[in-house]
Amino acid sequence: MSGSRTLRLISFVTWFNVKMLLSSEFFILLTFISPLIFATLAFFLFKSGGGTAGQTLLYVALGAGMMGVWSTTLFGCGGAIAWQRWEGTLELLVNAPSRYDYILVGQTFGAVVFGFYGIVATLAWGVLLFGMPLEATFPLILPLSLLAAIVSLGALGMLIATTFVLYRHANALGNLLEYPIWLVAGLLVPVATLPFWVRPISWLLAPTWGMEAIRGATIGADPPILAIAMCFILAVVYYVAARVTLVFVLAKARRDATLSLQ
Amino acid sequence: MSAVAGDVPAIEAIDLVRTYQTHTGVLRRRPMTVEAVRGISFDVRPGELFGLLGPNGAGKTTTIKMLITLLLPTSGSATVMGYDVVRDTTAVRQRIGYVFGGDRGLYDRVSGVDNLRYFAELYGVEPSEQKQRIGALLELVGLTGRENEKVEGYSRGMRQRLHIARGLLHDPEVIFMDEPSIGLDPVGARELRQTVRSLVDAGKTVLLTTHYMFEADALCDRIAVINAGRIVALGTGADLKDAIAERTIVEIETFGVTDEAVERLRGDADVSAINIEERDQSQILLVQSDRGAHITQRLLSLLGDTRVGKVVAREPTLEDAYVHLIATTGDDEARSARAASVQ
Repeated sequence: MSGSRTLRLISFVTWFNVKMLLSSEFFILLTFISPLIFATLAFFLFKSGGGTAGQTLLYVALGAGMMGVWSTTLFGCGGAIAWQRWEGTLELLVNAPSRYDYILVGQTFGAVVFGFYGIVATLAWGVLLFGMPLEATFPLILPLSLLAAIVSLGALGMLIATTFVLYRHANALGNLLEYPIWLVAGLLVPVATLPFWVRPISWLLAPTWGMEAIRGATIGADPPILAIAMCFILAVVYYVAARVTLVFVLAKARRDATLSLQ
Repeated sequence: MSAVAGDVPAIEAIDLVRTYQTHTGVLRRRPMTVEAVRGISFDVRPGELFGLLGPNGAGKTTTIKMLITLLLPTSGSATVMGYDVVRDTTAVRQRIGYVFGGDRGLYDRVSGVDNLRYFAELYGVEPSEQKQRIGALLELVGLTGRENEKVEGYSRGMRQRLHIARGLLHDPEVIFMDEPSIGLDPVGARELRQTVRSLVDAGKTVLLTTHYMFEADALCDRIAVINAGRIVALGTGADLKDAIAERTIVEIETFGVTDEAVERLRGDADVSAINIEERDQSQILLVQSDRGAHITQRLLSLLGDTRVGKVVAREPTLEDAYVHLIATTGDDEARSARAASVQ
């Protein structure tokens, strides 16, 4: 398959997945409303703790937005596959002549890019309702930080999605991963405040570095070069792991006849 | 480029076997091996319409899923257009289309045309050809004018027609159809049969599974009857009918016939097979015998005090041949296939 054909396939799948997700009331609630609820709760929590400085509010808003992005990633990547399994379309996708990893890339990025709406929404919410200042210490680096976060979260989403292809009850894993990652990735409290033994786990997670990259570009003292680099490195690691896992998963699905099970 | 040359079959299955691992019990799980397909061999010639006919659970869908590369055979081998279904998956997938019966397999929350556009991309249809191809297929399956409606609002028949359009998007050489008429009304089923026939007229090879005898008889060049994971007969409709040409079918309408009465009939030495059709208020017993209509009186006496309505003796049809094959090969085979081995 030529490069332009692959790109077209991935963009088409991305567009189709966004369209599918937009037709789900649950997803709309998750993406459009829940980040605002997270942000409101967080603003009040921090305010009651005396954290009213502009940068603190921005820190909170970005964290709340990223919580929404993570939820959207989990639902949009894993949940979508569970839904396809239920609809009976998963077999068709896996059995199409196109490479399934390209299809997964499109599905995953459709969900993640869409999820970044959460960050925009929480920033606007903070400015309008809580008088949060909208500023960035490294405005030119911010787009790169956002791109790095999107790519790394997308690759992680793809890795998670491979388990959903194999296991029909992988939704349980998705639910299990939502709240702990909010905490471990430092979305609401800094990773430095977590117990020492938790930190290595944080460093392996895309949301940790994605959050670090975005916060670094907006309220950091130094450009978040390390965080951006880690996002891209982890994205490569996740993607390679997803490709390897997928070969195993698809072979096992053909052997065990699990794709059509609901 | 197709690997088929000369007399190479479009589809060839050699001794295909497929077993599933499952378990019984909740707390004390007992592993179990179910043999869904137990050594199936057949071939389909290019341009042929081949029917796989059998009751539910006979192994038809499992066979198709192995041929379309969705499942790995436990043993045996198969090729489609000369490509091995285990090793050459991409080559096989590029050359086949498949249509599963039923409600599943479509994106309900988007329109019919969005479904087709999506699968056209996945099946590598050139962007410049997509619009024309989708338009032609919508016309073929009679969905023109309804293509922009969400699929969730489609009737069963419309969904089935959309399935067919999806399966034909990339102009495949071989088409697999798994019970495509299931759940369709008589008019929809007849239109579907016309569509299938037109595909074969256009040079496509079609493998069709069904449990409707008349459908297989009306459409297929050759039919393989499959029961309990094995092919029990293979030939044209006429070949299958010949197997019981000497028989007589006695149709007895009963009201509230008991299992014991049916068993008494089965126990008669001259009765070869019995099929029961349930009607609203009555049951039609289709009794096959080699002894002509002479045994009718004996059958009625064996029914005892069962209320009997119309009684007719007639020549056998293809459906009777099918019932005979299933009845004479089914019971022991099915039992051994379903509980093949408890480890």
